[in-house]
Amino acid sequence: MRLVKIPDSKYYEYRLNAMFDCYKWDPMFYDSNTLAKYVLILSEQENKELIQLTENLDKETRLAEEYLNKDKKLSKKLNLPKKVREQIKNMQNYDKKNNIRLMRYDFHPDIEGNWIVTEVNSDVPGGFAESSLLPDLARKTINKKELTYTSFGERMVEEINKKLHKKGTIMMVHCTCFSDDRQVMQYMGDRLQKEGYDIIYGAADHINFNNKKAYCILDNNNKKIDLIFRFTPIEWLIQMKPRRWDGYFNSETVSCNHPIAIYAQSKRFPFTWDELEKNGISMKTWKKLSPETIEVNKLKNKEGFIYKPVYGRVGEKISIKEACRDDEYNKILKDVKLHPKQYLAQKKFLSKPLKGENNEEYHICIGSYTIEGKHAGFYARMSKYPRIDSYAADIPVLIESRVK
Amino acid sequence: MTGKEIYEIYAPKNVKWTEWVRPVPFVGIDIYNRKKIRLINDKKIGFINEYKKDTAIFVDLPNIESIEYGISLAQIGYRPIPIFNGVDEQINSQSTTSSYLVEEGLISGAEKLKKIKIDNNANPVFILDSNRLNRYRKNESIFDNSWDLYGQDIPSYNYFKDNGINKIIVIGEKINRDLRKIFFKFQDVGIEFFQTNGYSSLKKVILKKTVKEKLEKEEL
Repeated sequence: MRLVKIPDSKYYEYRLNAMFDCYKWDPMFYDSNTLAKYVLILSEQENKELIQLTENLDKETRLAEEYLNKDKKLSKKLNLPKKVREQIKNMQNYDKKNNIRLMRYDFHPDIEGNWIVTEVNSDVPGGFAESSLLPDLARKTINKKELTYTSFGERMVEEINKKLHKKGTIMMVHCTCFSDDRQVMQYMGDRLQKEGYDIIYGAADHINFNNKKAYCILDNNNKKIDLIFRFTPIEWLIQMKPRRWDGYFNSETVSCNHPIAIYAQSKRFPFTWDELEKNGISMKTWKKLSPETIEVNKLKNKEGFIYKPVYGRVGEKISIKEACRDDEYNKILKDVKLHPKQYLAQKKFLSKPLKGENNEEYHICIGSYTIEGKHAGFYARMSKYPRIDSYAADIPVLIESRVK
Repeated sequence: MTGKEIYEIYAPKNVKWTEWVRPVPFVGIDIYNRKKIRLINDKKIGFINEYKKDTAIFVDLPNIESIEYGISLAQIGYRPIPIFNGVDEQINSQSTTSSYLVEEGLISGAEKLKKIKIDNNANPVFILDSNRLNRYRKNESIFDNSWDLYGQDIPSYNYFKDNGINKIIVIGEKINRDLRKIFFKFQDVGIEFFQTNGYSSLKKVILKKTVKEKLEKEEL
């Protein structure tokens, strides 16, 4: 795994093309440029290894979530929001064959040469265009056309075509007030429109359910929906008023993702693994790759742990001291004290940085997608700090193939 | 001109502050094939006499009017930085905010801006649409494309201070709630605020948190 610099002379053009041709609409976060000046190159061996591990993790996760959906006692360990717990009975008709399951697993290289998997983005992973279009732009920019990659978008189109056969209406459900959400949806929507689908952009409350089927209620777009492509997280969905969101949980309209995704989205997922294994579901890959995770109140005098929120996003509120800004670290500790059940403690690992220009070091997180159990490309981010958060930069991933 | 070409007029290469020009409405220009509506008007700048090295400006007026002030301030040396972040509505649906007015205004503004010479290190005039905060939906079938400005969408207070800026002028009817939220921290580090509606003279503003603002949980 190595970094290749995008020449300074080409970076302005690269950034411009990323914004206009690759849906990168959020290029700054405060003073941080969120589009890396590098490309991440994986060897063929690293690529193969990541694909194998990702698909093993996915197999375990999907069996686990189906089991958790049937075992209310065990799913209690996840501390799901009350409104979600009330919906478990409505999810009993979940049939994986009628839905499309998408996940993204976060891999970090450690100093001992191992891969560490910190979590799965089980509910609404993003970064679609960055993993589908940016690698192609990058390889043209650095003039390395022999490098390859798997396009997330093309894999997703294949899976949707299997279900809808290039006909029907797809609703891209997202928070319409956020352009960062729309950029994710717009890429996928534009790509699916080229396949012949009718695309509607709308919010979660623009869907009404009737006889377990989804209907769009946006004015002049009132029609039956054939596929719900959701980017609104479940935790936000259940806050919606008026309450119409129950329908998402027992919908017979094809969903990507179905709310069953919430089980693995809880960062307390590791607390169910021993029990799952007792019931015949192997969690071997998860156990091998994950740092030790314990309840906050069981931490006592144990050292070398960090706190993570149960429903955290993009690295927020993770107490890695050297990566926290201003008084953020103390504020997190205060919040953990006040709300210990909203956090967990995870053994800190030492991320192995990669060297860039002038020996500058960068930490990497590689998100590895699966769609319906098969690997579906990479979405990576890099940071000068060992925490990959909103200040981190998107970096395209390309594969060195020995086959010319 | 394409959206990308128009963007390059607002954000030329190697020019300070232009990394924060938000691409969202420029992308919309291409998707919806927007055209210029009319030439934008010059605004009389009566509240300052000249470009000031220690001052940045935020224009927070409705769509076209904001762009008109931004371009007029360019004529006295400020660099217009559009930070519009609202998305276009679903085709054929009503929406809470009119992104197309912003997009068409940016096309017209670019035609004027490309003829104005501005120093590469000039201080910024950030351009916003005050209609962004229109969140009211008279019925639920309306597309809500209102938006808030967040701290992360603009440079940090340290960046402003490091670049010699210790005064901010807000051109608007008031300092709106999302800007207030960002500016409390700016004020804490000694940045002073002034306000005008564009016609009135500058009035110094000391931001004080309301009870509601005090109760709002600070984001970590």
